[in-house]
Amino acid sequence: MARANLLERLHTIQDTYGYIPENEINKLSDQFDLPRSKVYGTIKFYSMFYTEPTGKYMVRVCDSLSCHLNDSEGLVTAVKNYLGIADGETTEDKKFTLEVVECLGHCGEGPVMMVNDQIYTYLNENRAIQILKDCM
Amino acid sequence: MLNFLKKDPILAIEDYDFTAFKQVLNTPAENIISDIKTADLKGRGGAGFPAGVKWELARKEKSAEKYVVCNADEGEPGTFKDRYLLENSPWQVLEGILISAYVIGAEKGYIYIRGEYVKPIKIFNKIIEKAEKKGLLGENILGSEFDFELELIRGAGAYICGDETSLLNSIEGQRPRSRIKPPYPIQSGLYGKPTLVNNVETLAAAVEIINQGVETYTALGTAESNGTKLISLSGEVNEPGVYEIEFGSLTIREIVEQLGKGIRNNGQLKFVVPGGVSTSILPQEKLDIPYSYEDIKAAGSNTGSGAMIVVSEENDLIDLMLNVAEFFMSETCGTCFPCREGIRQVCYLLENAKERGYLTQRDFELITDLSQTTYLAARCGLGQSSLNFVTSVLEHYRDELLQGGGQ
Amino acid sequence: MATALIDGQQVDFESGETILEAAEKVQIKIPTLCHAEDLSIYGGCRICVVEIEGERLLKPACATKISEGMKIKTHSPKVREVRRNIFELIVASHDISCRLNCLTCSRNQSCELREIAADIGANQTRFDPIDKGYDDDRSSVSIVREPNKCITCGRCIRKCEEVQGVGIFTMANRGPATVLTTFGDKGMGNVECTNCGQCIHACPTGALHEVYHYDRVWDMLKDEDKFVVVQTAPAVRVALAELFESKPGTIVTGQMVAGLKRLGFDRVFDTNFAADLTIMEEGTELIGRIEDGGPFPMFTSCSPGWIKYIEHFYPEYLENLSSCKSPQQMFGAVAKSYYAQQHGIDKEDMVVVSVMPCTAKKFESGRGEMDQDVDFVLTTRELGRMVKEAGIDLVNLAEEDYDPMMGESTGAGSIFGSSGGVMEAALRTAYELITEEELEELDFEPVRGAEGIKEAEVEIKGMTVKTAVASGLSNVGQLLEKIKNGEEYHFVEMMACPGGCIGGGGQPIPTNQETVEERMKAIYEIDAGKKKRKSHQNKEVQQLYEDYLGAPNSHLAHELLHTNYIKREI
Repeated sequence: MARANLLERLHTIQDTYGYIPENEINKLSDQFDLPRSKVYGTIKFYSMFYTEPTGKYMVRVCDSLSCHLNDSEGLVTAVKNYLGIADGETTEDKKFTLEVVECLGHCGEGPVMMVNDQIYTYLNENRAIQILKDCM
Repeated sequence: MLNFLKKDPILAIEDYDFTAFKQVLNTPAENIISDIKTADLKGRGGAGFPAGVKWELARKEKSAEKYVVCNADEGEPGTFKDRYLLENSPWQVLEGILISAYVIGAEKGYIYIRGEYVKPIKIFNKIIEKAEKKGLLGENILGSEFDFELELIRGAGAYICGDETSLLNSIEGQRPRSRIKPPYPIQSGLYGKPTLVNNVETLAAAVEIINQGVETYTALGTAESNGTKLISLSGEVNEPGVYEIEFGSLTIREIVEQLGKGIRNNGQLKFVVPGGVSTSILPQEKLDIPYSYEDIKAAGSNTGSGAMIVVSEENDLIDLMLNVAEFFMSETCGTCFPCREGIRQVCYLLENAKERGYLTQRDFELITDLSQTTYLAARCGLGQSSLNFVTSVLEHYRDELLQGGGQ
Repeated sequence: MATALIDGQQVDFESGETILEAAEKVQIKIPTLCHAEDLSIYGGCRICVVEIEGERLLKPACATKISEGMKIKTHSPKVREVRRNIFELIVASHDISCRLNCLTCSRNQSCELREIAADIGANQTRFDPIDKGYDDDRSSVSIVREPNKCITCGRCIRKCEEVQGVGIFTMANRGPATVLTTFGDKGMGNVECTNCGQCIHACPTGALHEVYHYDRVWDMLKDEDKFVVVQTAPAVRVALAELFESKPGTIVTGQMVAGLKRLGFDRVFDTNFAADLTIMEEGTELIGRIEDGGPFPMFTSCSPGWIKYIEHFYPEYLENLSSCKSPQQMFGAVAKSYYAQQHGIDKEDMVVVSVMPCTAKKFESGRGEMDQDVDFVLTTRELGRMVKEAGIDLVNLAEEDYDPMMGESTGAGSIFGSSGGVMEAALRTAYELITEEELEELDFEPVRGAEGIKEAEVEIKGMTVKTAVASGLSNVGQLLEKIKNGEEYHFVEMMACPGGCIGGGGQPIPTNQETVEERMKAIYEIDAGKKKRKSHQNKEVQQLYEDYLGAPNSHLAHELLHTNYIKREI
């Protein structure tokens, strides 16, 4: 049962630091008696875990099929242009990280975007940009 | 309208009376299992395995420790009905978990909710807290001999965790790739112990079967599809959303037109994805079939998770195929070669085709070979079904895709 | 016993057998790639899929248990087509390009993909190659990793974790971005890698190989100002011939010496000489500990993979390590002092090259404590390359002798190459030095053989000396845990590689249980054929003490032949 709760521990660490720092991986590896490579490999599987700091606002725009049919591509382009960054990048001022993600589970309300824990539905380009402006 | 599953939200514990669970506590477990078997409740996560059989097998396993896991890692594009239940009927979901645990003899359970579902996670954390206070979780639940502890696990962005063996690896803190079956989780699941994994909707439906009585439930539906099903309707309809329908009561076209209120902007219907992006599409001309496991299967597709995605004529088919293939490419665990490399090559071929504007004969040949190989040889359900969408679009719209000169 | 049909052949099987195992019994070869006998089942490559009557999907033969009445087709048209398709996908992701050409690959003679291609009748590659664009990992002084060639079969991961108990590798990411890497992507040189090189043996492709020294050695050989001496480890002579189509276990000591002379080395010496020297030092150290009452157990220190392992994982036991340098390093130290002085060679002009069955020796030679006593370390495989490059028909050469002064060796020195050998050699000498009586039975059978952990008790002058031997780092770890839990030994031999140096990471590919056992037989054959089988009988070693070092564990001996260790972080 060595690995029980590893996932939840990783969440807690990320909730604290915003990412999972190296020394925390070392500690987990000790506590769970696992090679640190295994903890690292587990972290790196998940798209919502980060081993490097991200922007203050994590912006996730869904581009899976249902949203795609509701022009999420246009939304993605607008957000990219507004923030001046590509998928996976962080703005220079460390405020925003943008990720084009798979389904967020609000397929009936697309296109959708998540900013940190908040989900925004039925978006159009202007509203999305307003939401980002409000974060500033 | 039926309201077995789609109900007004109940969030206060005082408003929920756990009738089914109380009844279960006073009924031999065999009888409950027999009811669920008679109801022929099929797993609502997508695989459709009979829940009663699963429960029976899990109960028969001899082990001091057993686990139940509620699979709330709903991640297939187009699917949001479990989120609906978690947000609106969390007590019913909890009740389903309690019943399944009691019936198979498990004292520990997990509910695994995908990390993106922030609101359901908050709700369920409170549910567990309140339930513990009220004696619905813990020792001697409701004064019975039944002890049960439930823990919420947050996912962290990985669709593959919806596969039950991957889910178990995830809970165990391993890289969540699928496990080789057999052994099945029922025999050797979490930490090698017998483990029953059920989807959110399956558990909620089990509660309703007990509440309504199995006769009421089986009176609904068709020969092979009893009761009701939650449908996540999305795509290019005027009124997307979660709908509960009695199996067989509406055709797919009727669902689109009556529930979805037709195609938006008066568009023309092209095809429907009946069960999420892992299922084959049904073209416009095949939509006059009743919504049921058997009719959809006969039409060449699958009920899947009940995610119905409606697509109009106003789309670039290659773009849609690429979108779906890219989803699977970013979500395959990467363990088995046909799935990992096969989907990658399909994406590559489709990217080139998208730029070109049409598919070549060679693209057809290669994608067909890859679909076949991935279907036959991939390690788990994700891989095996990953190219259903692409293959079925190719099959139904061959001429259209070759247009512009396919020779 | 139950029966099933494989390709129409009736096969009897025990419950629990896989289709792959059962098929072998009726002479049917099912191709495999991610499967390896000494590793856990992975079921990733799907090359071994077969058709089972009544099943919709194909099943991996490596991971599917055969059951009563099963009707299996291992090479049906469907199976063959799927295999070819999967193979094409592998090739496309294996980054075949002009830069990463098969011809210049480290595995150009031993690539398993080529074997698979032949086995499945591959005749086309329809997919465009994928440029994965990873950088090579050159952070380690022992091993290079070329991730673009990696097909992520996970064999190295499992080898490192399951056989070696270390676990530096992991898969990271997912989907096509799945990549094999180390913690934090730091590189093998910056994590707790022991440099044992077992991962190289696990790898079916050229994604892992040693850091090459042979081009530098060529440079030294052509430099007329350099006096280049070479030493050959005990395990090389019983494996080198495998690189020239000879059977495993073929002994080519004399031919190898002749070959090295033809390559242009100024002197060809024997690490076995240094092994005898090691026994004099280590045996004396052991006797000293017995007299002083510890610390026990004393651990051998010849295997640099083991040394790095204990430094990382069990630093609390560092004082238990013998302070003796390994034979390789003793050789270098003696060559650059004693030999150089006796022959008026400037130390700066002397180049010491080792031929080792080992990748960790490359790391060892570069350790700060070692004072550059050994300049270059060639693996057995690298020597094979040089011999081929020079066009030498090695196995048919007339045998020649090692050069004098550092070329003589006893049977005891020879068996250093096998797990249990150092122990046996030490006991032969310690027994005679302590009792001052001749040892009648020289063969210590309990410490011989291929088992991972061996134990033996030896009566020496009324004292029961408790010994243990472990090879393969997960066995080493197990033995250490046993010791931690209170098991007492006086003397313990630890070797990083399964079977000892004969199974080393620098040995010919394949190195597996079968080849290791054959090489082991040859090692003991060499020992049995020697007139002198005890290290203290080595005349040249005796001469070295007489002319230069004084006595074992003397001040000068300590300065030259002993070392210290470092606690390393994980």
